[in-house]
Amino acid sequence: MRKGIPLMEQVYKSNHRKIATFLSVIPGLGQLYNRQILKGVAFLTMTIAFLVSFWDFFAEKGLWGLVTLGTQVPRDNSIFLLVYGIISILLLFFAAIFVFIVFRDAYKNGERRDMGQRLNTIREQYRNLIDNGFPYLILSPGFFLLVFVVILPIIFVFLLAFTNYDLYHQWPAKLMDWVGTANFTELFGTELWRSTFLNVFAWTLVWTFGATTCQIALGVFLAVLVNQKDLKGKAIIRTIFILPWAVPAFVSILIFSGMFNETFGAINTVILDAVGIPPVDWLTNANATRLALIFIQTWLGFPFIFVMVTGVLQSIPEELYEAATVDGASALQKFRNITFPLIMFSIAPILITQYTFNFNNFNVIFLFNGGGPSVSGQKAGGTDILISWIYKLTMTSQEYAIAAAITLIMSAMVITVAVWQFRRTKSFQEEDMM
Amino acid sequence: MKKWTKLMLASSLAVGVLAACGPQDEGASSEGSSNEKPEKLIVWEDQDKGKALEAAADKFTEDTGIEIEYKEYNITEIQENLALDGNTSNAPDVVTMSHDGIGPSVTKGYLQELDIDDETKALYTESSMDAMTYKDKVYGLPKAVETTVFIYNKDKLAEAPETMDEVYEVSKEAVQEDGQYGFLSTWDNFYFSHGVFHGFGSYVFGEGDDASDIGLNNESAVEALNYIDKWYDEGLFPSGLLGENASDVMSGQFNDGNAVAVQNGPWAFKDYEENGINIGVSPMPKLPNGERQGTYMGVKGWFVTSFAAQNGTSEYAQQFVEYITNAENAKARYEMTAEIPPLKELIEDEAWVSENPYAAAVMEQSKFGIAMPAIPEMAEVWEPMATAVSTTATDKAEAQEALDDAVNVINQQIEANHSGN
Repeated sequence: MRKGIPLMEQVYKSNHRKIATFLSVIPGLGQLYNRQILKGVAFLTMTIAFLVSFWDFFAEKGLWGLVTLGTQVPRDNSIFLLVYGIISILLLFFAAIFVFIVFRDAYKNGERRDMGQRLNTIREQYRNLIDNGFPYLILSPGFFLLVFVVILPIIFVFLLAFTNYDLYHQWPAKLMDWVGTANFTELFGTELWRSTFLNVFAWTLVWTFGATTCQIALGVFLAVLVNQKDLKGKAIIRTIFILPWAVPAFVSILIFSGMFNETFGAINTVILDAVGIPPVDWLTNANATRLALIFIQTWLGFPFIFVMVTGVLQSIPEELYEAATVDGASALQKFRNITFPLIMFSIAPILITQYTFNFNNFNVIFLFNGGGPSVSGQKAGGTDILISWIYKLTMTSQEYAIAAAITLIMSAMVITVAVWQFRRTKSFQEEDMM
Repeated sequence: MKKWTKLMLASSLAVGVLAACGPQDEGASSEGSSNEKPEKLIVWEDQDKGKALEAAADKFTEDTGIEIEYKEYNITEIQENLALDGNTSNAPDVVTMSHDGIGPSVTKGYLQELDIDDETKALYTESSMDAMTYKDKVYGLPKAVETTVFIYNKDKLAEAPETMDEVYEVSKEAVQEDGQYGFLSTWDNFYFSHGVFHGFGSYVFGEGDDASDIGLNNESAVEALNYIDKWYDEGLFPSGLLGENASDVMSGQFNDGNAVAVQNGPWAFKDYEENGINIGVSPMPKLPNGERQGTYMGVKGWFVTSFAAQNGTSEYAQQFVEYITNAENAKARYEMTAEIPPLKELIEDEAWVSENPYAAAVMEQSKFGIAMPAIPEMAEVWEPMATAVSTTATDKAEAQEALDDAVNVINQQIEANHSGN
């Protein structure tokens, strides 16, 4: 492309493109210079409207607030200023896109004039906009909304991790300040924080892999079992297996929490008693609670996998199995070489979402034993995963900044793993399996 | 590309200029200088208690001509809402809050010191006035007091025992039968076990809420924890009574008639009565060493916010606080909400005591009660103390070791979370 430019340069008969681009420093003037009056006036009006409505906001709150986080209480509320600042940045970002479009438009049309070509009429411009820009036009309101509903909070948490927002730095008594990476230094530099973080993180990983793998294994196992050709009463069996999914999870968890009570719960008094096992201290021994949690999540999670795998199994062509039988394959070989790869091919991406879901599975942890039992020498309970620990940090001790720092670390990990895994799964690659 | 760098430079310059602007200073803000009578005061009241406020508010409006506009929030949400509504025209002048919220609220700058004369102070019990005081400044007037008491099943126990030794005997006898219990309490929750710890002579924070001096692993604390441990070790308290849902388990056993007595607060009376238990209420029995149990006490109060000072309405806000907590309005409030006001004249009123035995028992206990420390550092005490009690009760640690651990964690937490002020 670049090679063509010097050649084209010779075709230019005038310098309109440069003048139009330069004039676009005030958006709209370039278009007016190109004698596209309507477009020029429209751009100019938008620019003026933008400046009039937001100038004060940018100058008095937004950017100033983002940099200083306020200078004087009670007038300045740092948290609000931070939000205003992010909104300003987002608005300026939109403005920059707008300005870029204006510059480009002025340059393009100037270039056409330089080359002696006719400019589009208003009717043509309108057609152009509708034909080429239609998807953008339809998408833009939703996109705009998404930026403020999703992107803004993410930036907010990101920035919060670099402030000292806690109990002692709150409006109206105090302002908060930018502290750089102090939160991360504290998290990894002080013994109490570091050991808590590492313990919680280790258990989070064990929990994620343990609970998710168990629920997947059980779901797949039962689905294959129920899918046997000569099994009678499939409908009823399937219905029963789906039931744990049909009951709202929080109800099941609360009931389980009662059942696991050491003295009064059915698990110790009835089930273990019948087998002759002495009562287990489910709620006061961290390892026992962990075991119970993995069991409960397996119970809550397997029906979903079960239903999905059942669907996949029904779509596997019978001929594959017939051919395998002819070749003399055993049942296990058929499962390993036909059933399992085909199941994995279809549901691998969903399985990854199961892992990320359990990584952040707040409900079970919080409702079953509140992250307890408490362990001496650390800031979190014995079964607290990162997300429930963050909840405790914000809701009970108002350690917002550190909680934000942990959130950052946590999201970075989840995102990395999820992206890496998604890209590796076969469904995301082009080749066809069958 | 050169064009782009220029563009970037120009835009960042523009942003920089904007960032340097900032709001103009309007000089010193005209703080509370105007003593003009406001048209209305905004009051934030506890959930479902608004009707108790209405009558008093109407009279206040009649007397002074100031409208009272009230809004109901769950009392635990009031602090959060102050953070959001503080800056706006919805900012309240008067709020209700539990006294343990005073420390954090003053730290955050929500509350305004009050100027209360001795005569008014003398209306309320000393312990409740103490609870309204933070770092030698009075921030509010008490509205209701709560502390845990001894609740027993009258069908199983004819008379409230005087001492814990008697309670111990009752429990010993009760557990002979399978699934039956004597006295139950959730002592792994420090709110409930503080009475024992205090009675044995230990303390949470040193004199004047000095957070650098923590008395939870001294000899008396070990003695107290060993005493608590005895109840678990001998099977008088089941180990299923430990942990997150302990309170529900305890109330469940009492409601089913499986327990003779429990330690709980006034909020539980209704539930027990509705479950058909013929309850009696008395102050907590004396400990084996003859000491009273210094149970933790929560005092709800009325406070004037710092926003009132900004609006120049604090004088009238305080007037309103004094008005709704006066004897007449407090009594009317008790009739409607059953929240027990810590008024001195009520405890001394024989007729009232005989008519309201439950409230009287709570009042009696509140005389020995200790107001929960209001300093923010208190937040770090609950969890480690729960750990200490439950690890000792489940024989995972000795009392001394468990308490040393707990105090260690509390100190570390205080160092980590509260040293930056």
